[in-house]
Amino acid sequence: MLSGLLKRFTGKNNSKDAAKKRLQFSLIYDKLEVNDTTLTDLQQDIVDVISKYFEIDKDALELKVKRDDDVSALVFNTPILHVKRKRA
Amino acid sequence: MQGKIIVVTSGKGGVGKTTATSSIGAALALEGNRVAIVDMDIGLRNLDVVMGLENRIVFNIVDVVLDRCKVEQAAIRDRRIENLFLIPASQSDNKDVLTTAGVERVAKQLRSRFDYIIMDSPAGIERGFENSVVAADEALVICTPDVSAVRDADRVIGLLYARSLNPKLIVNRIEPARVTRGEMLSHDDVMEVLSIDLVGLVPMDEKVLISSNTGAPLVLQNDSKAGAAFRRIARRLNGEEDLPIEMPVYKTSMWQKISKTFGLK
Repeated sequence: MLSGLLKRFTGKNNSKDAAKKRLQFSLIYDKLEVNDTTLTDLQQDIVDVISKYFEIDKDALELKVKRDDDVSALVFNTPILHVKRKRA
Repeated sequence: MQGKIIVVTSGKGGVGKTTATSSIGAALALEGNRVAIVDMDIGLRNLDVVMGLENRIVFNIVDVVLDRCKVEQAAIRDRRIENLFLIPASQSDNKDVLTTAGVERVAKQLRSRFDYIIMDSPAGIERGFENSVVAADEALVICTPDVSAVRDADRVIGLLYARSLNPKLIVNRIEPARVTRGEMLSHDDVMEVLSIDLVGLVPMDEKVLISSNTGAPLVLQNDSKAGAAFRRIARRLNGEEDLPIEMPVYKTSMWQKISKTFGLK
Protein backbone atom coordinates (compact mmCIF):
# COMPACT_ATOMS: atom_id res chain seq x y z
CA MET A 1 0.00 0.00 0.00
CA LEU A 2 2.71 2.42 1.00
CA SER A 3 4.84 1.31 -1.88
CA GLY A 4 1.81 1.80 -4.09
CA LEU A 5 1.45 5.37 -2.88
CA LEU A 6 5.15 5.91 -3.29
CA LYS A 7 4.93 4.58 -6.80
CA ARG A 8 2.20 7.06 -7.58
CA PHE A 9 4.33 9.92 -6.30
CA THR A 10 7.47 8.88 -8.03
CA GLY A 11 5.72 7.64 -11.15
CA LYS A 12 7.65 4.37 -10.94
CA ASN A 13 6.11 1.20 -12.22
CA ASN A 14 7.06 -2.35 -11.43
CA SER A 15 7.61 -3.59 -14.95
CA LYS A 16 8.84 -6.91 -13.59
CA ASP A 17 5.32 -7.73 -12.39
CA ALA A 18 4.14 -7.34 -15.96
CA ALA A 19 7.01 -9.54 -17.14
CA LYS A 20 6.08 -12.27 -14.69
CA LYS A 21 2.39 -12.22 -15.59
CA ARG A 22 3.06 -12.27 -19.31
CA LEU A 23 5.50 -15.12 -18.89
CA GLN A 24 3.07 -17.21 -16.87
CA PHE A 25 0.39 -16.77 -19.52
CA SER A 26 2.61 -17.45 -22.48
CA LEU A 27 4.06 -20.60 -20.91
CA ILE A 28 0.57 -22.00 -20.39
CA TYR A 29 -0.36 -21.22 -23.97
CA ASP A 30 2.91 -22.63 -25.32
CA LYS A 31 2.12 -25.93 -23.64
CA LEU A 32 -1.33 -26.13 -25.22
CA GLU A 33 0.07 -25.90 -28.71
CA VAL A 34 -0.28 -29.19 -30.53
CA ASN A 35 1.68 -29.91 -33.67
CA ASP A 36 0.10 -31.28 -36.85
CA THR A 37 1.71 -34.72 -36.71
CA THR A 38 0.34 -35.29 -33.22
CA LEU A 39 -3.14 -34.28 -34.38
CA THR A 40 -2.97 -36.52 -37.45
CA ASP A 41 -1.75 -39.49 -35.38
CA LEU A 42 -4.44 -38.88 -32.78
CA GLN A 43 -7.12 -38.64 -35.47
CA GLN A 44 -6.04 -41.98 -36.93
CA ASP A 45 -6.14 -43.63 -33.50
CA ILE A 46 -9.59 -42.22 -32.72
CA VAL A 47 -10.92 -43.37 -36.11
CA ASP A 48 -9.55 -46.87 -35.51
CA VAL A 49 -11.25 -47.15 -32.13
CA ILE A 50 -14.59 -45.72 -33.23
CA SER A 51 -14.60 -47.87 -36.37
CA LYS A 52 -14.73 -50.95 -34.17
CA TYR A 53 -18.24 -49.95 -33.06
CA PHE A 54 -19.59 -47.57 -35.68
CA GLU A 55 -19.40 -47.11 -39.37
CA ILE A 56 -18.34 -43.50 -39.80
CA ASP A 57 -17.90 -41.16 -42.72
CA LYS A 58 -14.13 -40.87 -42.77
CA ASP A 59 -14.14 -37.99 -45.24
CA ALA A 60 -16.45 -35.76 -43.22
CA LEU A 61 -14.79 -36.00 -39.83
CA GLU A 62 -12.81 -33.23 -38.25
CA LEU A 63 -10.57 -32.93 -35.23
CA LYS A 64 -9.51 -29.65 -33.74
CA VAL A 65 -8.34 -27.99 -30.56
CA LYS A 66 -10.72 -25.31 -29.40
CA ARG A 67 -9.29 -22.68 -27.13
CA ASP A 68 -11.11 -20.44 -24.72
CA ASP A 69 -9.70 -18.09 -22.15
CA ASP A 70 -9.16 -20.67 -19.48
CA VAL A 71 -9.95 -24.05 -20.98
CA SER A 72 -8.80 -25.87 -24.01
CA ALA A 73 -10.91 -28.64 -25.54
CA LEU A 74 -10.40 -31.32 -28.10
CA VAL A 75 -13.35 -31.45 -30.46
CA PHE A 76 -13.94 -34.47 -32.66
CA ASN A 77 -16.82 -34.35 -35.08
CA THR A 78 -17.98 -37.28 -37.16
CA PRO A 79 -21.18 -38.36 -38.85
CA ILE A 80 -22.21 -41.90 -37.84
CA LEU A 81 -23.48 -43.94 -40.77
CA HIS A 82 -24.63 -46.92 -38.73
CA VAL A 83 -23.87 -48.94 -35.67
CA LYS A 84 -22.03 -52.18 -36.12
CA ARG A 85 -23.96 -55.05 -34.55
CA LYS A 86 -21.85 -57.62 -32.84
CA ARG A 87 -22.72 -61.16 -33.76
CA ALA A 88 -23.83 -63.06 -30.73
CA MET B 1 36.66 -44.42 -12.94
CA GLN B 2 33.07 -43.75 -13.92
CA GLY B 3 32.70 -40.05 -14.58
CA LYS B 4 29.56 -37.98 -14.70
CA ILE B 5 28.41 -36.09 -17.78
CA ILE B 6 26.77 -32.73 -17.09
CA VAL B 7 25.20 -30.80 -19.96
CA VAL B 8 24.92 -27.02 -19.72
CA THR B 9 22.08 -25.68 -21.81
CA SER B 10 19.70 -22.74 -22.12
CA GLY B 11 17.71 -22.69 -25.34
CA LYS B 12 18.41 -19.02 -25.87
CA GLY B 13 21.88 -17.88 -26.85
CA GLY B 14 23.89 -15.22 -25.12
CA VAL B 15 22.77 -15.93 -21.56
CA GLY B 16 26.18 -17.07 -20.35
CA LYS B 17 26.37 -20.77 -21.20
CA THR B 18 30.00 -20.67 -22.27
CA THR B 19 31.06 -18.64 -19.23
CA ALA B 20 29.14 -20.98 -16.95
CA THR B 21 30.58 -24.10 -18.57
CA SER B 22 34.19 -22.93 -18.39
CA SER B 23 33.80 -21.57 -14.85
CA ILE B 24 32.04 -24.61 -13.41
CA GLY B 25 34.50 -26.94 -15.15
CA ALA B 26 37.47 -24.98 -13.83
CA ALA B 27 36.01 -24.85 -10.34
CA LEU B 28 35.36 -28.61 -10.32
CA ALA B 29 39.00 -29.15 -11.29
CA LEU B 30 40.11 -26.83 -8.46
CA GLU B 31 38.12 -29.09 -6.13
CA GLY B 32 40.47 -31.89 -7.14
CA ASN B 33 38.56 -33.57 -9.94
CA ARG B 34 39.78 -34.56 -13.36
CA VAL B 35 37.55 -32.53 -15.67
CA ALA B 36 36.94 -32.40 -19.42
CA ILE B 37 35.01 -29.53 -20.92
CA VAL B 38 33.54 -30.36 -24.31
CA ASP B 39 32.46 -27.65 -26.75
CA MET B 40 29.46 -29.08 -28.61
CA ASP B 41 28.79 -25.92 -30.61
CA ILE B 42 30.08 -27.34 -33.89
CA GLY B 43 30.91 -24.62 -36.40
CA LEU B 44 30.79 -21.83 -33.82
CA ARG B 45 33.43 -22.74 -31.29
CA ASN B 46 34.11 -20.32 -28.47
CA LEU B 47 35.20 -22.14 -25.35
CA ASP B 48 38.79 -22.23 -26.60
CA VAL B 49 39.10 -18.42 -26.71
CA VAL B 50 37.22 -17.92 -23.46
CA MET B 51 39.61 -20.38 -21.78
CA GLY B 52 42.69 -18.94 -23.48
CA LEU B 53 43.54 -22.19 -25.28
CA GLU B 54 42.86 -21.19 -28.88
CA ASN B 55 46.50 -21.47 -29.98
CA ARG B 56 46.83 -25.07 -28.94
CA ILE B 57 44.09 -26.78 -30.91
CA VAL B 58 45.18 -29.72 -33.02
CA PHE B 59 42.20 -32.08 -32.99
CA ASN B 60 38.57 -31.49 -32.01
CA ILE B 61 35.45 -33.35 -30.89
CA VAL B 62 34.42 -34.12 -34.46
CA ASP B 63 37.78 -35.82 -35.03
CA VAL B 64 37.19 -37.91 -31.90
CA VAL B 65 33.65 -38.91 -32.84
CA LEU B 66 34.67 -39.76 -36.40
CA ASP B 67 37.59 -41.80 -35.05
CA ARG B 68 40.26 -39.64 -36.64
CA CYS B 69 42.09 -39.32 -33.32
CA LYS B 70 42.01 -40.50 -29.72
CA VAL B 71 40.42 -38.61 -26.82
CA GLU B 72 43.92 -37.94 -25.39
CA GLN B 73 45.02 -36.27 -28.61
CA ALA B 74 42.06 -33.87 -28.71
CA ALA B 75 41.99 -32.94 -25.01
CA ILE B 76 44.02 -29.76 -24.43
CA ARG B 77 45.49 -29.52 -20.96
CA ASP B 78 44.91 -26.17 -19.22
CA ARG B 79 48.15 -24.47 -18.20
CA ARG B 80 46.83 -22.71 -15.11
CA ILE B 81 44.53 -25.29 -13.59
CA GLU B 82 45.66 -28.82 -13.02
CA ASN B 83 43.46 -31.66 -14.26
CA LEU B 84 41.38 -29.37 -16.47
CA PHE B 85 41.04 -30.28 -20.15
CA LEU B 86 39.20 -28.82 -23.13
CA ILE B 87 37.98 -30.77 -26.11
CA PRO B 88 37.21 -28.00 -28.61
CA ALA B 89 34.49 -27.94 -31.24
CA SER B 90 35.33 -28.06 -34.90
CA GLN B 91 35.09 -24.71 -36.63
CA SER B 92 34.73 -25.89 -40.22
CA ASP B 93 32.21 -28.72 -39.98
CA ASN B 94 28.49 -28.36 -39.77
CA LYS B 95 26.34 -29.61 -36.93
CA ASP B 96 24.98 -32.59 -38.83
CA VAL B 97 28.39 -34.23 -38.98
CA LEU B 98 27.81 -35.73 -35.50
CA THR B 99 25.35 -38.51 -34.72
CA THR B 100 23.89 -39.32 -31.33
CA ALA B 101 25.28 -42.86 -31.62
CA GLY B 102 28.76 -41.47 -32.23
CA VAL B 103 28.49 -39.10 -29.28
CA GLU B 104 27.32 -41.92 -27.01
CA ARG B 105 30.28 -44.07 -28.00
CA VAL B 106 32.73 -41.24 -27.19
CA ALA B 107 30.84 -40.50 -23.95
CA LYS B 108 31.73 -43.98 -22.74
CA GLN B 109 35.42 -43.31 -23.37
CA LEU B 110 35.19 -39.93 -21.62
CA ARG B 111 33.51 -41.41 -18.56
CA SER B 112 36.38 -43.83 -18.09
CA ARG B 113 38.99 -41.04 -18.25
CA PHE B 114 37.46 -38.14 -16.31
CA ASP B 115 35.48 -37.50 -13.09
CA TYR B 116 33.34 -34.83 -14.72
CA ILE B 117 32.60 -34.13 -18.35
CA ILE B 118 30.89 -30.77 -18.92
CA MET B 119 29.13 -30.46 -22.27
CA ASP B 120 28.52 -26.94 -23.54
CA SER B 121 25.41 -27.20 -25.66
CA PRO B 122 24.78 -24.85 -28.58
CA ALA B 123 21.82 -22.48 -28.45
CA GLY B 124 18.60 -23.83 -29.94
CA ILE B 125 16.85 -27.17 -29.64
CA GLU B 126 17.92 -28.87 -32.86
CA ARG B 127 20.53 -31.47 -33.72
CA GLY B 128 23.35 -29.84 -31.73
CA PHE B 129 21.17 -29.83 -28.62
CA GLU B 130 20.26 -33.50 -29.15
CA ASN B 131 23.93 -34.44 -29.44
CA SER B 132 24.77 -32.53 -26.27
CA VAL B 133 22.09 -34.14 -24.11
CA VAL B 134 22.07 -37.69 -25.47
CA ALA B 135 24.73 -38.98 -23.07
CA ALA B 136 24.11 -36.60 -20.15
CA ASP B 137 23.64 -37.83 -16.58
CA GLU B 138 22.74 -34.39 -15.27
CA ALA B 139 21.60 -31.12 -16.81
CA LEU B 140 22.03 -27.48 -15.86
CA VAL B 141 19.76 -24.86 -17.37
CA ILE B 142 21.09 -21.29 -17.45
CA CYS B 143 18.76 -18.38 -17.75
CA THR B 144 18.87 -14.64 -17.26
CA PRO B 145 16.00 -12.71 -15.64
CA ASP B 146 14.29 -11.61 -18.85
CA VAL B 147 11.15 -12.86 -20.58
CA SER B 148 12.77 -14.43 -23.61
CA ALA B 149 15.43 -16.33 -21.68
CA VAL B 150 12.90 -17.64 -19.15
CA ARG B 151 10.50 -18.76 -21.86
CA ASP B 152 13.25 -20.59 -23.76
CA ALA B 153 14.46 -22.14 -20.51
CA ASP B 154 10.96 -23.49 -19.91
CA ARG B 155 10.94 -25.12 -23.33
CA VAL B 156 14.35 -26.70 -22.78
CA ILE B 157 13.34 -27.93 -19.31
CA GLY B 158 10.38 -29.72 -20.92
CA LEU B 159 12.67 -31.38 -23.46
CA LEU B 160 15.07 -32.49 -20.72
CA TYR B 161 12.23 -33.98 -18.66
CA ALA B 162 11.18 -35.91 -21.74
CA ARG B 163 14.65 -37.49 -21.69
CA SER B 164 14.29 -38.37 -17.99
CA LEU B 165 16.79 -35.70 -16.98
CA ASN B 166 15.99 -33.61 -13.93
CA PRO B 167 17.55 -30.23 -14.71
CA LYS B 168 18.74 -27.73 -12.14
CA LEU B 169 18.52 -24.00 -12.67
CA ILE B 170 21.19 -21.30 -12.60
CA VAL B 171 19.93 -17.72 -12.76
CA ASN B 172 22.66 -15.61 -14.30
CA ARG B 173 23.32 -11.86 -14.50
CA ILE B 174 21.15 -10.82 -11.59
CA GLU B 175 21.31 -7.09 -10.90
CA PRO B 176 20.14 -6.67 -7.30
CA ALA B 177 19.65 -2.91 -7.59
CA ARG B 178 17.27 -3.34 -10.53
CA VAL B 179 15.44 -6.15 -8.76
CA THR B 180 14.91 -3.78 -5.82
CA ARG B 181 13.58 -1.12 -8.15
CA GLY B 182 11.10 -3.60 -9.59
CA GLU B 183 12.70 -3.45 -13.03
CA MET B 184 13.98 -6.99 -13.07
CA LEU B 185 12.50 -10.38 -12.26
CA SER B 186 13.92 -11.70 -9.00
CA HIS B 187 15.26 -15.25 -8.77
CA ASP B 188 12.14 -16.12 -6.81
CA ASP B 189 9.99 -14.93 -9.70
CA VAL B 190 12.02 -17.00 -12.17
CA MET B 191 11.84 -20.09 -9.99
CA GLU B 192 8.12 -19.68 -9.48
CA VAL B 193 7.52 -19.45 -13.21
CA LEU B 194 9.77 -22.39 -14.08
CA SER B 195 9.16 -24.47 -10.93
CA ILE B 196 12.45 -26.34 -10.89
CA ASP B 197 15.26 -26.69 -8.35
CA LEU B 198 17.87 -24.01 -8.09
CA VAL B 199 21.59 -24.75 -7.99
CA GLY B 200 22.95 -21.24 -7.97
CA LEU B 201 22.50 -17.50 -8.41
CA VAL B 202 25.10 -15.51 -10.29
CA PRO B 203 25.22 -11.72 -10.07
CA MET B 204 25.99 -9.47 -13.03
CA ASP B 205 29.74 -8.96 -12.99
CA GLU B 206 31.96 -6.76 -15.15
CA LYS B 207 34.84 -9.12 -14.48
CA VAL B 208 33.30 -11.73 -16.80
CA LEU B 209 34.05 -9.67 -19.90
CA ILE B 210 37.47 -8.66 -18.60
CA SER B 211 38.56 -12.21 -17.90
CA SER B 212 37.30 -13.38 -21.29
CA ASN B 213 39.34 -10.58 -22.93
CA THR B 214 42.53 -12.21 -21.74
CA GLY B 215 41.33 -15.81 -21.59
CA ALA B 216 41.99 -16.03 -17.86
CA PRO B 217 39.74 -18.26 -15.74
CA LEU B 218 37.06 -16.26 -13.96
CA VAL B 219 37.16 -18.55 -10.94
CA LEU B 220 40.78 -17.62 -10.26
CA GLN B 221 39.95 -13.90 -9.92
CA ASN B 222 39.58 -13.32 -6.22
CA ASP B 223 37.43 -10.25 -6.58
CA SER B 224 34.92 -11.69 -9.05
CA LYS B 225 31.43 -12.11 -7.61
CA ALA B 226 30.35 -14.26 -10.53
CA GLY B 227 33.49 -16.37 -10.21
CA ALA B 228 32.74 -16.94 -6.52
CA ALA B 229 29.15 -17.89 -7.36
CA PHE B 230 30.32 -20.44 -9.95
CA ARG B 231 32.76 -21.95 -7.45
CA ARG B 232 29.91 -22.45 -5.01
CA ILE B 233 27.82 -24.05 -7.74
CA ALA B 234 30.68 -26.44 -8.47
CA ARG B 235 30.96 -27.39 -4.80
CA ARG B 236 27.23 -28.10 -4.74
CA LEU B 237 27.53 -30.31 -7.81
CA ASN B 238 30.54 -32.01 -6.27
CA GLY B 239 28.58 -33.42 -3.35
CA GLU B 240 28.15 -30.45 -1.00
CA GLU B 241 24.45 -30.32 -1.75
CA ASP B 242 23.62 -28.46 1.43
CA LEU B 243 25.96 -25.56 0.78
CA PRO B 244 23.60 -22.57 1.12
CA ILE B 245 22.80 -20.61 -2.02
CA GLU B 246 24.10 -17.09 -1.58
CA MET B 247 21.51 -14.47 -2.40
CA PRO B 248 22.69 -11.42 -4.29
CA VAL B 249 22.15 -8.49 -1.91
CA TYR B 250 18.83 -6.78 -2.36
CA LYS B 251 18.85 -3.40 -0.73
CA THR B 252 15.45 -2.56 0.69
CA SER B 253 14.35 1.03 0.76
CA MET B 254 13.20 2.75 3.92
CA TRP B 255 9.61 2.80 2.69
CA GLN B 256 9.64 -0.92 1.98
CA LYS B 257 10.98 -1.58 5.46
CA ILE B 258 8.32 0.61 7.05
CA SER B 259 5.47 -0.92 5.10
CA LYS B 260 6.77 -4.41 5.88
CA THR B 261 6.92 -3.56 9.61
CA PHE B 262 3.28 -2.45 9.50
CA GLY B 263 2.30 -5.43 7.42
CA LEU B 264 0.99 -3.22 4.63
CA LYS B 265 3.08 -4.56 1.76
